[in-house]
Amino acid sequence: MKIVCVCACTSGIAHTYLAKAKLEKAAKELGDEIHVETQGTIGTENALTPEQIAEADVALLAVDIATTGNERFKNIPTVKVGTSLVVKAPKQLLERIEEEVKERKSQKE
Amino acid sequence: MNTFVTGAKKAGSAVKKHLLTSISYMLPLVVASGLLIAIGNLMGGKQVTSLAQMNFPNSMTTLGVLGMGLLPSFIAGYIGYSIADRPGIAPGFLAGQIASFLGAGFLGGIIGGFIAGYIALGIRKIKVPRWANGLMPMLIVPTVTAIFTALIMFFLLGQPLTAATTALNHFITGLDRSQRALYGFLIGWIGCADFGGAISKIPNLICDGLLLDGIKGPEGIKVLAAMVPPFGITMSYFFAKLFHKNIYTKREIENIEVAFPMGCCMITEGVIPIAMNDLLRTLPCTWIGCGITGMISYGWGNESSVPSGGIFVIPAMSKPLVAVIALVAGSLVTGILLAIIKKPLTDKEVNETQDESQDEEKNVDLSGVNLQ
Repeated sequence: MKIVCVCACTSGIAHTYLAKAKLEKAAKELGDEIHVETQGTIGTENALTPEQIAEADVALLAVDIATTGNERFKNIPTVKVGTSLVVKAPKQLLERIEEEVKERKSQKE
Repeated sequence: MNTFVTGAKKAGSAVKKHLLTSISYMLPLVVASGLLIAIGNLMGGKQVTSLAQMNFPNSMTTLGVLGMGLLPSFIAGYIGYSIADRPGIAPGFLAGQIASFLGAGFLGGIIGGFIAGYIALGIRKIKVPRWANGLMPMLIVPTVTAIFTALIMFFLLGQPLTAATTALNHFITGLDRSQRALYGFLIGWIGCADFGGAISKIPNLICDGLLLDGIKGPEGIKVLAAMVPPFGITMSYFFAKLFHKNIYTKREIENIEVAFPMGCCMITEGVIPIAMNDLLRTLPCTWIGCGITGMISYGWGNESSVPSGGIFVIPAMSKPLVAVIALVAGSLVTGILLAIIKKPLTDKEVNETQDESQDEEKNVDLSGVNLQ
């Protein structure tokens, strides 16, 4: 599964980057490909490229606050969760998303 | 009924998101302005109104005060942004100006932001002829939203908001020392109840709000108490070592090495991985320690005009000595309690290093996770 992700927490200094690290680790273990953009207090870092978004199966928004650029994901399925859930259980979350994506695909066929 | 409950839950989390967004944008402003005031005040600066009186200390204090004056607008503006996107910013900032005018600072800013945001969102949805499309974000949404916001804020909510703010301020400034000590304990305790999580946010938000209205005591508690859990746990490690008692595993000690410097910067979250392994014993110790810090700080009239920054802003507090005593006392209590009540570990347990790849996750409810 290919995932694009945006992380943003309230203070924009801790949870944003914790979530990014947890997701990247979990994705590696599950064999998923993930690109994580962080919108912290310092600004947007590691911005997603249009190619990454076009290739992705799903967009994961791990955000507690309003983020910019959500219109980029209008053509792909989107999941929205809080950052604390990602920090708590990144693997379970990715597995659950994978299920949902598969279900969506089988419905389409 | 069920749809009502989920509907209410959704609305609640939306409101929370809007609030958090505004706080996220507001924090850097508060920290910078607060530090400017502190720097200026330390050098004897005052707020001045004419360029002729300007010198370096005065310039710092004056800019800081001006910055603080922007706060209601920042809150309202970014609540508006979170609700209605860019067209919500201008009416939101205006609503914040109304809040300043009413003297209802923080509370007025929040309410004004929501009013302006939802009106802007509603107006955005109105279909207009194609030639007017370009006028919508630039002219129609901000102006019409501002008109309605002004009517509601000035004529409907003006009086109650002013009254509520004055009543609150009177109540807080009227507290005597023992009452302050009691409230200090409560704010310190609840503010660290879950180490910077959802519960902590509530009293911390109230402290930030009071700061806007010029009441700086609670902010002092917030800054100091946030450092107590990491400091206390660090101390407990050394105390226990003194008595040749091992209470932390090697892995936990590694976490303490990270949590302590984070704690110096007022980030409490670093202790979560340590506390999670033994919540029942850790929580009461940190609660009591944070409470004591709050009690001493507020009871003896320590104030902080800076809402964030950890040990680095202690010199900028009104009574740095009281602040240090409060911080040390609370941390000591936490440290000693933990060293006493935590179970001693055997050598085997101490050396047990969990395999990185087997990070255990607690089962969480993912039923709300759906594709959109």
